[in-house]
Amino acid sequence: MTLDDARDDFESGLKPLWLLAQAGDETAYREALRRIAVRLRSYLRRRMQSLPDDLEDLVQETLLALHLQRGTHDPALPVSNWVLAIARHKLVDLWRRRGRQEALHDPLDELEDHAMPVAVEEGSARRDLGQLLQELPEAQRRAIVLTKIEGLSVAEAAQRTGASESAIKVQVHRGLKRLAAKVKEESP
Amino acid sequence: MKTESLIDMLACQAGPAPRAMAARRLTPAVAGGLALGVAGALGWIGPIPAELYADPGPWIKLGYAGLLAAAALWWVARLGRPAAPVAAPMRAAGAVVVAMGLLGAAALLAVPGGERMDTVLGHSWAECPVSVLLLSLPTLAGAFWALRGLAPTRLRLAGFAAGVLAGAVGAFSYALSCDELAPSFVAVWYTAGIGAAGLLGALLGPRLLRW
Repeated sequence: MTLDDARDDFESGLKPLWLLAQAGDETAYREALRRIAVRLRSYLRRRMQSLPDDLEDLVQETLLALHLQRGTHDPALPVSNWVLAIARHKLVDLWRRRGRQEALHDPLDELEDHAMPVAVEEGSARRDLGQLLQELPEAQRRAIVLTKIEGLSVAEAAQRTGASESAIKVQVHRGLKRLAAKVKEESP
Repeated sequence: MKTESLIDMLACQAGPAPRAMAARRLTPAVAGGLALGVAGALGWIGPIPAELYADPGPWIKLGYAGLLAAAALWWVARLGRPAAPVAAPMRAAGAVVVAMGLLGAAALLAVPGGERMDTVLGHSWAECPVSVLLLSLPTLAGAFWALRGLAPTRLRLAGFAAGVLAGAVGAFSYALSCDELAPSFVAVWYTAGIGAAGLLGALLGPRLLRW
């Protein structure tokens, strides 16, 4: 199988799930994000030979960005191009944060210099998002915990807290945005 | 937190993706920027006499600025979406500028050789680009706010496109207060003001649009 075939397979498997997810199907969204995480890990691993410890952190940072920006995907365009454009953006941003020296390295040259692939345990991040979640303002943290961890509907969460449904939605979105900002502050 | 738990958290109660994000951000940005630009031009410099609108001059300016603003708006909306193709809107914006340049050059050829320099400079060449740039600032702020709510991955280009959009809206506003009638004046000095706004945007883009 050539690289292009693999890419097409990824896209053709992901696209229908993604369109369901965009329409609000939670199960399809979870499965789409799982597939995207696997793809991100292999995409970023090849380009982060010099920063292996940051790999899973960047996978998580990119997933968070994809979620916050999912309204910017144009259904007429391939999902994988959109995903990888955001991953590349996050990678370049990480290099910039780590200083110019790193940014000047051609990632593909790196690949030849360190022929030994770095083994990274799947899903092990250095930074703990659960910990960062605790640092959010109370209303945002509570809205996220109720709807996105305990799985209450927005209406139930509104009832539980006494806030309006639109307020809950706003708190969740703001909280996740703040979480994404904190992620950047935490890895200078 | 494991990546698997993060995925569960993101998917849980996620609901449908927000729709038409670019339109929802760019519409108020451009409408507000245009309103402030027009108010600035009319309040600060004052409107041109109504009889000037009998001449094609003001209409050429409004047409040029309006078409360029439309192309730039399309361009900015594309640049706010990762991996969206931008060649077509970029060409459209370029074509509008080239068309204005050709119109200005053709009009200049009809002027006797000795008067061409005076025609291009008009009586307000020094004020025009500065005024266009100043009147573009509200739209520039709005377009950057809009882009910050989207996901630009080419920050300098996105800043430049936002600047061109703002410059074109500023030029549209200034056209209501500018009594120069020669197309060659518009082709040079309006374009200079729009270009200055574009450069300002390109300069600010990498700083203000990071996410």
